[in-house]
Amino acid sequence: MTPGKKRLNYSYYPGCSLHASGREYDISTRALFKALNVGLKEVPDWFCCGATPAHNVDELLSLSLCAKNLSLAEQVEGDLAVACAACFSRLKTTQHHLKEDEEKRKQVETAIAGPAALDKPVKHILEILAREFGLSKLEESVKKPLMGLKVASYYGCLLTRPPEVPELDDCEDPSIMEDILRALGAEPVKWSHRMECCGANFTLSRPGVVLKLSNAILESARLAGADCIMVACPLCHGNLDIRQKEIKDAYGAPDSTLFGNIFGSELQQGAPKDQRDLPVFYITQLAALAMGVPSGNLGFESVITDPKPLLREKQLL
Amino acid sequence: MSRIGVFVCHCGENISRTVDVEQVASAAGEIPGVAYACDYKYMCSDPGQNLLKKAVAEHKLDGVVVAACSPRMHEKTFRKAASAAGLNPYLCDMANIREHCSWVHEDKKLATAKASDIVKLMVERVKKGKSLAPITVPVTKRALVIGGGIAGIQAALDIADAGHQVVLVEREPSIGGHMAQLSETFPTLDCSQCIMTPKMVDVANHPNITLHTYSEIEKVEGYIGNFQVTLKHKARSVDESKCTGCGICMTKCPKKKIPNEFDQGHGLRTAIYVPFPQAVPNTPVIDRENCTMFQSGKCGVCAKVCGPGAVDYQQEDRFSVEAVGAVVVATGFKLYSIDRKPEGSPIQGYGEFGYGAIPDVIDGMTFERLASASGPTGGKILRPSDGKEPKQVVFIQCVGSRAREKGISYCSKVCCMYTAKHTMLYHHKVHDGQAYVFFMDARTPGKGYDEFWRRAVEEEEAVYIRGMVSRLYQKGEKIVVMGSDIQVGVQVEIEADLVVLATAVQAQDGADLLAQKLGISYDKYNFYSEAHAKLKPVECATAGIYLAGACQGPKDIPDTVSQASAAAAKVMTLFSKDQLERDPVVAKVNEKYCVGCLACKKVCPYGAVEEKEIRDRQGNLVKVVAYVNPGVCGGCGTCQATCPSKSVELDGYTDEQIMAMIESL
Ligand SMILES: Cc1cc2nc3c(=O)[nH]c(=O)nc-3n(C[C@H](O)[C@H](O)[C@H](O)COP(=O)(O)OP(=O)(O)OC[C@H]3O[C@@H](n4cnc5c(N)ncnc54)[C@H](O)[C@@H]3O)c2cc1C
Ligand code: SF4
Ligand code: SF4
Repeated sequence: MTPGKKRLNYSYYPGCSLHASGREYDISTRALFKALNVGLKEVPDWFCCGATPAHNVDELLSLSLCAKNLSLAEQVEGDLAVACAACFSRLKTTQHHLKEDEEKRKQVETAIAGPAALDKPVKHILEILAREFGLSKLEESVKKPLMGLKVASYYGCLLTRPPEVPELDDCEDPSIMEDILRALGAEPVKWSHRMECCGANFTLSRPGVVLKLSNAILESARLAGADCIMVACPLCHGNLDIRQKEIKDAYGAPDSTLFGNIFGSELQQGAPKDQRDLPVFYITQLAALAMGVPSGNLGFESVITDPKPLLREKQLL
Repeated sequence: MSRIGVFVCHCGENISRTVDVEQVASAAGEIPGVAYACDYKYMCSDPGQNLLKKAVAEHKLDGVVVAACSPRMHEKTFRKAASAAGLNPYLCDMANIREHCSWVHEDKKLATAKASDIVKLMVERVKKGKSLAPITVPVTKRALVIGGGIAGIQAALDIADAGHQVVLVEREPSIGGHMAQLSETFPTLDCSQCIMTPKMVDVANHPNITLHTYSEIEKVEGYIGNFQVTLKHKARSVDESKCTGCGICMTKCPKKKIPNEFDQGHGLRTAIYVPFPQAVPNTPVIDRENCTMFQSGKCGVCAKVCGPGAVDYQQEDRFSVEAVGAVVVATGFKLYSIDRKPEGSPIQGYGEFGYGAIPDVIDGMTFERLASASGPTGGKILRPSDGKEPKQVVFIQCVGSRAREKGISYCSKVCCMYTAKHTMLYHHKVHDGQAYVFFMDARTPGKGYDEFWRRAVEEEEAVYIRGMVSRLYQKGEKIVVMGSDIQVGVQVEIEADLVVLATAVQAQDGADLLAQKLGISYDKYNFYSEAHAKLKPVECATAGIYLAGACQGPKDIPDTVSQASAAAAKVMTLFSKDQLERDPVVAKVNEKYCVGCLACKKVCPYGAVEEKEIRDRQGNLVKVVAYVNPGVCGGCGTCQATCPSKSVELDGYTDEQIMAMIESL
């Protein structure tokens, strides 16, 4: 902290995944904010944002869930920090939607028996780090630069889309993750699949789709020479990390192709496959590591694709 | 007591659907001073006009109000009818109960009441109206054509052939526009240069055409029949009167590696250059930004080698004023760029296509240059990155067009056709190559157009895939095209050697600024607006200014040429008279009351107010008053609202008339 400057303080909406399958994201977010001396106070009594299922089934329900959470967040001082890409998207979408649709807003406010907090600023961890804490300060705070670590930063679908909602970065060609990685001393690779879908929720209903899409992401990251992938979404993390072995079993054979390729292009045909394990990190895990947080406190033990061999190789453990 | 007639029109059902026209007519009959009132289905029709004429005679009417559509639509029609019946035409007015009432309201009762009020207002205005006579102004029979693409060339030639003088102004060093860049043209595949260059030469040789290239419009003053246009002649650094066009300067200029704009940046040119060998005029310009002489004061080679001594580094921008009676605007279009959107622009770029950073992703115009015999590759299809012949080419239609999320919702009209053309040209030149086209629909309305498209698909083996492309990325030497085929319902991936984007047709840079100088209107995309979409497609709402070509909206060559000839015909109609009649709705100063503060002069947007000295018989100055030049006055009434001593009034909108209107409510 620069002396004399006010300490940054945020309210915090972790969302369900961060209390369950994405625990590491929560743990590392808290550890990182502590290391940066940025305040983070969890919203009391928050509940599920409804995620994808709610807005597929009942729009009013989905909007009301988010609106209620936003009004709970109003009770805690500071802009609302969100780590999960889906929660972020739902909360922002709700604000956007209700600002534009007076009638919906009234319905929602009746449902939650109170005002929808449409002006509570909702911020993703990425923008807090890059813009509010600031890249240069972030760089100054680094204790253990992530030297030599080649990272494929993966944005997925929701962080920047649709263009009018998240206002996080350029919708199709963002750079916020790469900017942060550079500040941390890592080396972001240039690659093709930063914005492609991993299959998301189909992981439960149609895992075949997820295997195919996530495979394309992993393959292009390897092709670009990445050592690992960095994400900012627990669902992307799950698909790329937990299913990695399954994907190799399904697509590891040398003559497989990425897509239903009806026009005879020669993608990947016959070439021996690069089968390297690609550890999948949350942005906060890598940032906290660079800030000198002991690796034991970052949840590395609870992921499937073990990152420790890589970190050891790069002398980051 | 006045004897006013009120005629309420149904406009088919356009008015009568929401306004009870009979009730409006019967209420009008009750207004003091109204001698006759009726309603009729179509007042503008022949029987409708006859009804009006008959009533004027039968009921000895001394004024008429037609309650119908906007005066912009039919004021002329009814004033003519009134005049035929022996009334002064300016004692016939319209009450707009369509645009201002029936079209914008739903509640019939309220709309009817409002329509009655509008009628009441107009009756009061006509009651206090005076007989007026039209003003006549002389017509300068000389036309200005702005833009030297095919539209401007065609319009200029037509007007000049009719025996009138034409001033043609082009902002680039040569005329020709986009058509000069094209290789072969749909739907007949004739060579663009071959049909274009003779017309360019005709322009240069025509005794009635004065050509100013490398020039722009600086200022426009005046009005129909009498425009004064200031031109800016940008410094060419070459004296046009001395240059013989030998071109030796270009062969000797040491700066040889400047990307040539005419070849979409793919060919090279020198610092002193003509954009292409067939340029008209064949006089080079020095691109000062790239010339060593201008940048560091060293070189001067071109001046040394130029025999007639035409190179002039000291030349400065020059201005000239041209008096013309009519203007044809033919400034054409520009192509949408997929680059990252400039700050503040409403148009989104295509990040998913790499924002223009992938070298072998090109636009349609670049493909035209590659396919053109005079292009940078001599007509061979070779890709920009490594000069190899591409064997798999993917064409993507509607890039930026019909894409509301990118800021453009219209269809660019020409790209379906030129993409089909591109697949044919490619097939003719690369026999073992394969063309794929991603498209939403094939839009081919036009004579011989669908046949042309079918030929691309059925005979020239282009594979058309109905669907959109979500992403392009470089993978080794290839560009991976990720898209969908919505007919088969699968995702498609093609590894292409070259990708050609049919990017949207957009208004020219600065189109809005030019429109503001001319005082013409433009739409939200900066395309110029015609006076009526169906019935006045080449006229601007501003009298004396006409439109031709793609500056009005995306257009192919046949449509452009038709419109250019139509605009020329309008100019000739205007020039067929020696005097023009103008509406006498102009401001007049009451010199007795005017205190000479000249507040009106400051606010007049037309610059119509002058100072006038009033002297006694001995020639002593009595006072200075304002004088409104009726030829210049636009009739806006700003002076009337401003004048502190109430001594300037518009004929037809006097204070007395306006107060009577207000009091009637
Ligand atoms: C890739 C491509 C392929 C095409 N192929 C075909 C085809 O095969 N067949 C077909 O029928 N049509 C084709 N078209 C359409 C064709 O190009 C247009 O119909 C035609 O060029 C329109 O002519 P224009 O004179 O209106 O505009 P332009 O050709 O754009 O000319 C406008 C001129 O005005 C000048 N200008 C602009 N602003 C100013 C200013 N402020 N002051 C002075 N001068 C100014 C410009 O420099 C230019 O010279 C194609 C279009 C594209 C993009
Ligand atoms: S003076 Fe400029 S234009 Fe002339 S030869 Fe030298 S570099 Fe070329
Ligand atoms: S002409 Fe065809 S390609 Fe061009 S915008 Fe219209 S539909 Fe799309």
